Amino acid sequence: MKLPFNGESRTHRLGPMQTLPIPMRKFAEGETVDYCVIGVGAAGGVLLQRLARAGFQVVGFEAGPFWDTEKDWVSDEKGSHELYWNDLRITGGTHPLALGANNSGKGVGGGSVHWAAFAPRFHPSDFRIYSEDGVGADWPMSYWDLKPYYELLEREIPVAGPAWFPWGDPHGHPYGPHPLGGVGDVLVRGCTRLGIRTVAGGPVAILSASHGDRPHCIYRGFCLQGCKVGAKASTLITHVPDAITHGAEIRAHSMVARINLRDDGRVDGVLYYDREGKEHFQRARAIVVAGYAIETPRLLLNSACPGHKHGLANSSGTLGKYLMAQAGNVVAGRFSELIRLYKAPPAHALSEDFYETDRRRDFARGFAIQTVGPLPVAFAKQMVAAMGAWGWGMRRVMMDYNHWATLGVLGEILPWEDNRVELAEEKDQYGLPVAKVTFNLHDNDKKLIEFGKSKVMDVMWAAGAEEVVQESRFAHLVGAARMGSDPSASVVDKFGRTHDIPNLFICDGSILPTQGSANPGLTIQALAARTADYLIQQGDTIFFSNRRERNEPGIHYDLSPPYTRFKGNPRIA
Amino acid sequence: MTEKRSFPFDRTTGEQLRGLSQPGYYPGFSTLGQQKTWDDATRRTVNERVNQIPAIHFFEPREAELLAAIIDRVMPQDDRSPYRTIPILEIIDERLYKNALNGFRYEDMPADQEAYRLGLKAIEEMAQQRFGGSFPALEVHRQELILKSLHDGRPDPKHPAWEKLPVHRFWALLMEDCVTAYYSHPWAWDEIGFGGPAYPRGYMRLENGLPEPWETDETRYEWNAPVDSVSELEEQGTPPEHSSLGGHGGSH
Repeated sequence: MKLPFNGESRTHRLGPMQTLPIPMRKFAEGETVDYCVIGVGAAGGVLLQRLARAGFQVVGFEAGPFWDTEKDWVSDEKGSHELYWNDLRITGGTHPLALGANNSGKGVGGGSVHWAAFAPRFHPSDFRIYSEDGVGADWPMSYWDLKPYYELLEREIPVAGPAWFPWGDPHGHPYGPHPLGGVGDVLVRGCTRLGIRTVAGGPVAILSASHGDRPHCIYRGFCLQGCKVGAKASTLITHVPDAITHGAEIRAHSMVARINLRDDGRVDGVLYYDREGKEHFQRARAIVVAGYAIETPRLLLNSACPGHKHGLANSSGTLGKYLMAQAGNVVAGRFSELIRLYKAPPAHALSEDFYETDRRRDFARGFAIQTVGPLPVAFAKQMVAAMGAWGWGMRRVMMDYNHWATLGVLGEILPWEDNRVELAEEKDQYGLPVAKVTFNLHDNDKKLIEFGKSKVMDVMWAAGAEEVVQESRFAHLVGAARMGSDPSASVVDKFGRTHDIPNLFICDGSILPTQGSANPGLTIQALAARTADYLIQQGDTIFFSNRRERNEPGIHYDLSPPYTRFKGNPRIA
Repeated sequence: MTEKRSFPFDRTTGEQLRGLSQPGYYPGFSTLGQQKTWDDATRRTVNERVNQIPAIHFFEPREAELLAAIIDRVMPQDDRSPYRTIPILEIIDERLYKNALNGFRYEDMPADQEAYRLGLKAIEEMAQQRFGGSFPALEVHRQELILKSLHDGRPDPKHPAWEKLPVHRFWALLMEDCVTAYYSHPWAWDEIGFGGPAYPRGYMRLENGLPEPWETDETRYEWNAPVDSVSELEEQGTPPEHSSLGGHGGSH
């Protein structure tokens, strides 16, 4: 029997139509490169692609594998376990965060391989919540500094969504919205009955029409398991191939253990372990850490050395602090009619009507309401938590799986100093201390979650549910190496450059000072493109000088991957 | 599966549901029957799960017997025919033997392996103390009463192990492992009407709960848990909120 999509092909596949460019450049052992980028995820992928296009010699280090999507990925929940960062971490505090599958990727593409791909922008207010509400912190930049990068990345990854997105800075999307699934119907129906505005069919970084060598979505619902279709954006398929075409090397299965600091206060390379556990040293003129909110602070803490005994770039003492996760309560409603929530992308309709501070409420900031689409294993776990289901009760509730719809609260939790990443006593397989993550909810967070949860339960009832339950949980991670203009209260400046070490940068979600109630993926990528523009504009200065340029670099419109440049302009400029 | 069993029933006909090759409301629906439309990697993964049941390496025989009896109550399959029983014990054993982590450990918990050993020993001693017998030999109802006390976070009888091992975390660990094994199996997908893998074909009927041409519509009946079961869902309005489970793929 001839079967479609034979996985035995020797070609390295990135989706059914795209292949890995060959040969990939390989720098010789002992060769000094311009940039080491540590972590090839949502941010690292975008940064590498731009630096390579601009002609820099770059190596991207990735602790996990270089996925061949046809061979390595499956349409199966349990079989997708390897997409996550499964190595040991310790979690604690009053509200310990679940890590691993919940928020941490491993392998080229990082977390962008298993994100649900909701791609809303942050609102202008997110950049100044301290000024407006007296909570959290202001960003050292404004929304308007980032806006051109939002527009650029919305075309590059690209984003499908409504022609008019009414919240924050209203905008449109380059690709049209997706058809609604059963859960989207529930969100739109419930919200509409309560007078809450919604958008449907996006914004998601999932193709609603084919795009270059990427096919459109087939609505199979396995977004979080790695999109074999190639319709959902991950840097593995959007930016990494272009980076390789332009001379970047991606070194997979390479775990960076520490960054080396010279006597003159500049970094000069990274020590890393290859797949066999053999130690290597890669020399570089500058280093960018892009390991995300846990591995980035962990690496910098593990790189402590004389003169920097509390970790590299930590003269402020804020490294590892102000870690954030968003409230991610899941509200499940059982309907008499069939929903079949496994169809369509989990991310496909939302409301940001409650996003900003409302003086009539007793807490600052707000939350979004979004569709979620847990597959059977994830849903069964939610029922353990939300209903206390076990035994025959578990069998019963799961027999009704197709009658349930699930909506998520996505709530802004403020940055608090005591929410942090530190080093634990335990060591990993390389003998490196693992991360210890501490997470506590504060008064504002608790009030916000309580309000958000009951609002989404109201929506579920209004949609016609016969039973409504909810599970308290968290989604996403950002912060822990925040940017700011004050070197005594932040780790990096507005371009991601560490205050302490002139040729050491951070480029990932860890630099976010606040998080809003928008999914962080698009913002992380937009920031990466902005940092890239800064590095490119600075050129060799970064390598030989400690001078710190603070002016905006100006946006490069000529660095986009193929098929994306000026294509599919948003309908509303 | 151990000898101790109890059976759900159809309330309309009063008949016990037992020896079923496929429980649930979707008679005749078979995800495995669609496997020719799946990609190679997925087909291999799912078929291995069905056809290759790992041997026990981690647990001692007595521990394995005890955990099997516990699994039979927290994820019961008494209604399934022996030929259609989904392996759970073997999957948990394999995970612990290979030390396949879910990416983190709670600071107040020991390693998963130790948590299982401590928890099993405590459950057995609770059975001895409360009912004067070994847990696997107890009547189903008595087994359920002991487990229900763990579910409720109020171990009855009290046991010193739960001072070191937070009972709600142990319960979450056990349930997470059990539901992962059960609901990742294609026979469970058939039971609940989940369409299963769908690449490269995809879905086209997204709205109104409509079945794809190759899916089956629901045929409901009055399913009821075994008469004396205490693991049936709590009355609506009073669900105790349990701590969130760790490893589920993010929903957002």
